[in-house]
Amino acid sequence: MGALADQFGQMNMGQKGLRLFTTNLLTSPPEPMELRQPPPEIVLPPNSCLSQSPFANADSSYQRSTLNAIPTTNSLLNKSKIPLGLVITPYRSLKEGEDEVPVVTDTVIARCRRCRTYINPYVQFIDGGNRWRCCMCSLSNEVPQLFDWDQVRNQPGDRWARAELNHAVVEFVAPTEYMVRPPQPAVYIFLVDVSHNAIQSGMVATATRTILENLDRIPDDNGRTKVSIIAFDTSLYFFTLPSGGADSSMLVVSDIDDVFLPKPTDLLVNLQEARPALESLLGRLSDMFQDNHTIGSALGPALQAAFQLMASIGGKIIALTATLPSVGVGALKNREDPKALGTSKESGLLQAASPFYKTFAIECSRAQVSVDMFLFSSGYQDVATLAYLPHYTAGQTYFYPAFNASRTEDAIKFAHEFGKVLAMPIMLEAVMRVRASKNLRMSSFHGNFFVRSTDLLAMPAVPQDLSYAIEVQIEDTITSPFVVFQTAVLHTTCYGERRIRVITTALPTTSNLSDVFASADQVAIATLLANKAVERSITHKLEDARDALFNKMVEILSAYKASMTAAGAGASAQLAISENLKMLAVLVLGLLKNVGIRQSAQIPPDLRAYAQALLTSLPSQLLIPYVYPNFYSLHTMPPECGTVGEHGVIMPPPLPLTSERLERHGLYLIEDGQTLFLWIGRDAVPQLVMDVFNLPNYEVLRGGKTTLPVLDNPFSQRVNAIIQKTREIRRGVYHQHLYIVKEDGEPPLRLWALSCLIQDRADVLPSYQQFISQLKDKVNGSGY
Amino acid sequence: MLNFEDVEERDGVRLSWNVWPSSKIEATRTVVPISALYTPLKQREDLPPVLYEPVTCKPPCRAVLNPYCQIDIRGKLWICPFCLQRNAFPPHYKDISNTNLPAELLPKYTTIEYTLSRPAQVPPIFLFVVDTCLDEEDLKALRDALVVSLSLIPPYALVGLITYGTMTQVHELGYAECSKSYVFRGGKEYSPKQIQDMLGLSAQNRAAPRPGQPMPQQTFGAARFLMPVQQCEFQLTGILETLARDPWPVANDKRPLRCTGVALSVAVGLLETTFPNTGARVMLFSGGPATEGPGLVVNNELKEPIRSHHDIDRDSAKHFKRASKFYEGLAKRASNNGHVVDLFAGCLDQIGLLEMKSLPNSTNGVIVLADSFATSIFKQSFLRIFNKDDQGHLEMGFNATFDVQTTKELKVSGMIGHGISAGKKSACVGETEIGIGQTSAWKVNTVTPRTSAAVYFEVVTPAGQPLQPGSRGLIQFVTHYQHSSGQMRLRVTTIARNFAEAGSPSIAASFDQEAAAVLMARIAVFKAEIDDSPDVLRWLDRMLIRLCQKFADYRKEDPTSFRLTDNFSIYPQFMFHLRRSQFLQVFNNSPDETAFYRHVLNEEDVNNSLIMIQPTLMSYTFDTPPQPVLLDSISIKPDVILLLDTFFHILIFHGETVAQWRKAGYQDQEGYENFKELLEMPVADAQDLLADRSPIPRYIVCDQGGSQARFLLSKLNPSTTHMSTSMYGNAPGSNGQAIFTDDVSLQVFMEHLKRLTVGAQTN
Ligand SMILES: [Zn+2]
Ligand SMILES: [Zn+2]
Repeated sequence: MGALADQFGQMNMGQKGLRLFTTNLLTSPPEPMELRQPPPEIVLPPNSCLSQSPFANADSSYQRSTLNAIPTTNSLLNKSKIPLGLVITPYRSLKEGEDEVPVVTDTVIARCRRCRTYINPYVQFIDGGNRWRCCMCSLSNEVPQLFDWDQVRNQPGDRWARAELNHAVVEFVAPTEYMVRPPQPAVYIFLVDVSHNAIQSGMVATATRTILENLDRIPDDNGRTKVSIIAFDTSLYFFTLPSGGADSSMLVVSDIDDVFLPKPTDLLVNLQEARPALESLLGRLSDMFQDNHTIGSALGPALQAAFQLMASIGGKIIALTATLPSVGVGALKNREDPKALGTSKESGLLQAASPFYKTFAIECSRAQVSVDMFLFSSGYQDVATLAYLPHYTAGQTYFYPAFNASRTEDAIKFAHEFGKVLAMPIMLEAVMRVRASKNLRMSSFHGNFFVRSTDLLAMPAVPQDLSYAIEVQIEDTITSPFVVFQTAVLHTTCYGERRIRVITTALPTTSNLSDVFASADQVAIATLLANKAVERSITHKLEDARDALFNKMVEILSAYKASMTAAGAGASAQLAISENLKMLAVLVLGLLKNVGIRQSAQIPPDLRAYAQALLTSLPSQLLIPYVYPNFYSLHTMPPECGTVGEHGVIMPPPLPLTSERLERHGLYLIEDGQTLFLWIGRDAVPQLVMDVFNLPNYEVLRGGKTTLPVLDNPFSQRVNAIIQKTREIRRGVYHQHLYIVKEDGEPPLRLWALSCLIQDRADVLPSYQQFISQLKDKVNGSGY
Repeated sequence: MLNFEDVEERDGVRLSWNVWPSSKIEATRTVVPISALYTPLKQREDLPPVLYEPVTCKPPCRAVLNPYCQIDIRGKLWICPFCLQRNAFPPHYKDISNTNLPAELLPKYTTIEYTLSRPAQVPPIFLFVVDTCLDEEDLKALRDALVVSLSLIPPYALVGLITYGTMTQVHELGYAECSKSYVFRGGKEYSPKQIQDMLGLSAQNRAAPRPGQPMPQQTFGAARFLMPVQQCEFQLTGILETLARDPWPVANDKRPLRCTGVALSVAVGLLETTFPNTGARVMLFSGGPATEGPGLVVNNELKEPIRSHHDIDRDSAKHFKRASKFYEGLAKRASNNGHVVDLFAGCLDQIGLLEMKSLPNSTNGVIVLADSFATSIFKQSFLRIFNKDDQGHLEMGFNATFDVQTTKELKVSGMIGHGISAGKKSACVGETEIGIGQTSAWKVNTVTPRTSAAVYFEVVTPAGQPLQPGSRGLIQFVTHYQHSSGQMRLRVTTIARNFAEAGSPSIAASFDQEAAAVLMARIAVFKAEIDDSPDVLRWLDRMLIRLCQKFADYRKEDPTSFRLTDNFSIYPQFMFHLRRSQFLQVFNNSPDETAFYRHVLNEEDVNNSLIMIQPTLMSYTFDTPPQPVLLDSISIKPDVILLLDTFFHILIFHGETVAQWRKAGYQDQEGYENFKELLEMPVADAQDLLADRSPIPRYIVCDQGGSQARFLLSKLNPSTTHMSTSMYGNAPGSNGQAIFTDDVSLQVFMEHLKRLTVGAQTN
């Protein structure tokens, strides 16, 4: 302990420091509440910030670093073995009551002449306030003439009130220099699979009804938004939507090898002007193809057609398909091979089967076209390949396996999520770049975008609540007491304004390893590791990805043991880690057990690929439960739970993810942000069953996808309130399915629910205890 | 002696010779081949309805029982005059006797029409292919005409609609949800299989119907595109009424993109896939040249002019051969399936008819050339196609084939007319080939009461093996077609002519110079389509001279002794006008016009063809009843009105004085009623001519000295030219009008002919 105390003493060059608390993983089990703690405090040197504003540093929901104190040297970073990276959610949605991002409307944009950093709360004014010194490169810059002028009132303004000096997250209205062309209108092209399967599944009816119901929510503040609908099976069906009139006509193009637009006008139309025609078409589309017996899909040609229609503008293609693309460019074969699952060949199934989806994506990216994929197949659909398109065009993949609209829950989930996507404001024709202080370099990028020219991320349409992870390299010794990371997203709003969203994070530097550990953000680290693991599973093998995860955890623990504990290089009976990293091991275990990464010969490639798409795009708020689900005991929850408290519905305390907590007479909620399981024990008393399900006893209760009734009793209302709150609490579009799982119910459903309890042993996958002891053995055996 | 026109009335046939030379050599010496211009559906009020199957000879002969057959009443046998086989009468003929003969054995029914018991499987089909690169006025006129036509097409007939411009659209009729069409790229050549797949006519990629759930028939198959008029009239009218101009923008220096080739290939592809070997018409309405895709006739750059005869002559028409080949391919496919392609042009300029001519030529389609679809030439010509007979049936047969059978001394050389070879290499196919040869049957696809085919024969009896005296040859024409009522019918005409020995005067006396002129004109035009026209002119001259050498009376080397008998006398004049006609002199017309004129010549009967070759000219003046006058410049006089009928043009020409009076408005003044009457007379006569002609001729009213008068002047024999006036000082006026031409006059032509015939030195 002496060494440790010494290190404390050296800390922080006289600043208020972070204290490092060591904990022993062997004796302190995971505590789910800790994942809800904020990241370690960012302790900046005094006077590093111009502003007293509490918003002068970016909230972790926008941008967070894996380390909240940046090592001054790469070797120090290496010593910690903690990966340095940023997790950015530049366009996160705002919940009710949250503040809007402040907007600088006067188009006076002060930027460093050399490094192009945007002025922010961490610059210094010098020369009597006539100049400012860049916080990144130290260059002295002139303050723009109109910086202190209030253009609205046309009088001198208060510099210190300027948003960009008080807010780390700010949006500038861009002057024309920031435009290659005038801001383009928002464009939505819906590609609707109308083949036999799609129609029969009810997807088309649900999709068109959802579009119809959400027409008013599609962003169109300035009346410029354009839409088009193209249906397809093995042919393409275009619809003219004449403005004003209600008569649309259908133009069938079957020449899918050589796709072309059948008409120069009326296909891509102004949403408002074509509203009557659009409504009439949406009302009939599903019926029009009711007797369609065509099977197969010309998705690739349909995408090409949409591209031709919008290439000069850009915008969003929303593809809704229930079929494996079977004809034309981008046709895919069913390559699902049960024998390959669980073997080294499995990662091949996660790679794109056709180069089209990448080359076309790059074409789209250049033309500012983004693609969202809504996938509904009941059979193999090659999600892995199709997901490439959203991946490179900054879109998202949504998956509804075996969708069947006759099940109300399926229809509700899809309609809810699709509706949210439609209503979502999007950033158009965007590019994102992250700048950082000298000697810090963005080295690799994870997420849905296309990397254009080393560090410029092209994002044709940035949806809300998607996250990007960027690894950072320390190139040379950092001498400044703090560093700044600044993310700038130049974009066009969906109401046609060119803007730059700037997110600035300032972090102290340290030459002290204990600071490094003490400032480590386990949530950010887990998010970054998830991205890296998925990448590795595709470029290498799934097994390699799992090994890398495990080894990374061993390295961090070893580093900690070696540097931060008395054990040093010797064996230890403990498995020590700093308190703030206590949950990292269980998060890594969660990753190792996630559908996207897990060792198994049972996971259909489509499910695996979809999980991977989530792992690389979910912001931490959604990712963490996806890796480490929430587990609540409902039958024993305190009486206030499920009632409305100061911060809304009071949630029960989360339980550790182990089935040891399951009681035979109990009712539990397990949820991972994508799915809700209502677990009921086989000895549940009839009263409980009656109160919650309105059924006389456990025996008559049926497991499976369901909608929980809201009954006239407090318990039912509390349970419903908790479920409701769970569905609302997070950002993002996802509407979780609710499954009733009976303790002695159908094995697949039971196993699925139990797979959320990641601290249990499952098949070949270790329990948390086993995992910790494996880690300990490695750490001790590694001879660090 | 036969009266040619009576025969024509009865059997629809005119022969060049009505007595035939009995040996091959002699037949060659008579120069004009034995040939017939046959009008299979010649209207006959007196034909009895014959509602039974014809009795035919054993295969392979299959000749139809006719009045020239020898019958053995007792033995219930008949001997086929063509192959001399004995055939038993079928059992239901057991009661025949000399006083109880079936119609087909009665001498007056050398032409008879059977209504066959098996009706057509499919009603007639009309597939409109409509150009939308038209200005609003034209498009509206065309739409209106098409809508009117729907009321003229039998309600049970199937109709379909293809529209085209930059792209081709096949409209799905009877799709209730909205207007729906299948779109094809304009710049691409689609294979028949692709067209079939793209229209969803093949049953690939289909989910199996669920048990107990029948596959809805409406959703695929041809029924979506071709529907009975009575079912789709409302919707089709709706589509037509809202049919808009091609929406693709056209730059100022460009022609609109017009993918006529793709539109036609889709039309042909649709029909051949869905309704092969049944009666169907593709009716193309084109407002300009194809500028896109296969069959492109001219580039869409306006700076590239459309090809002229000169360009084609110099082989510098860069799209010509490729386009022609493309349309020939389509024509072959259409005609093989019994389908017809009609071309309606509504354009001041050319539309590439020349390149497309194989379509109407080999399918027996109609060509109508109009300056615009808003003209009455188009409207009336189009609607006249739907003329109906007394029973209310269209005067149009479908999917017709035409067979010729001959007795053994006569062989078939070929047919010149619209159609293609049916590839029937029967025993009566000869060695010499004239027109479409190497077959004794042709597909002519559609037949109207005007359709006239020229059939050429050769005599195969070797010299020195004279025929029995009084022997005769027989020709049987058998036309099988789908009547517009849906019945299948068989029209059979059997004619017999005597053979005569070499040198017999009966041969010369049997010469039908009108028929011969028309039959030779068809050969000349057929040759002109292949050869250079100078070669054809020389051939015509040579044939004329040889004919005169054989049949004129003259003393050697004495031109003044040259005499022709009456039935040869105007033949040289026909040849003179034929040489000068637009059929052989192409440079005054556009290539499209040439194609059109030649097409029409191959359609018409003797009388109409003669009008085309040698137009008729009527003169109207005071105090004299109207009278035909010479087609000669001398007929132009200041105080006459001339009415010229070239078949393609009907022209009223006011002499100088008449023109002045008319301009001065005398006709509206009291006391000048006779002038008014004079002015009205040719107008009324012109209306009579216009009444039943198809296509509708161009109607021109002009004055002497006006620019439109050139149509008249170009047809007149230039007996007074600018040359003759200057060289011989002939005073104009009283002697007609001088014509500005280098052409020789009829008089000079005749002088040459006489000299060459008698073997005198020329000049
Ligand atoms: Zn700078
Ligand atoms: Zn016979």
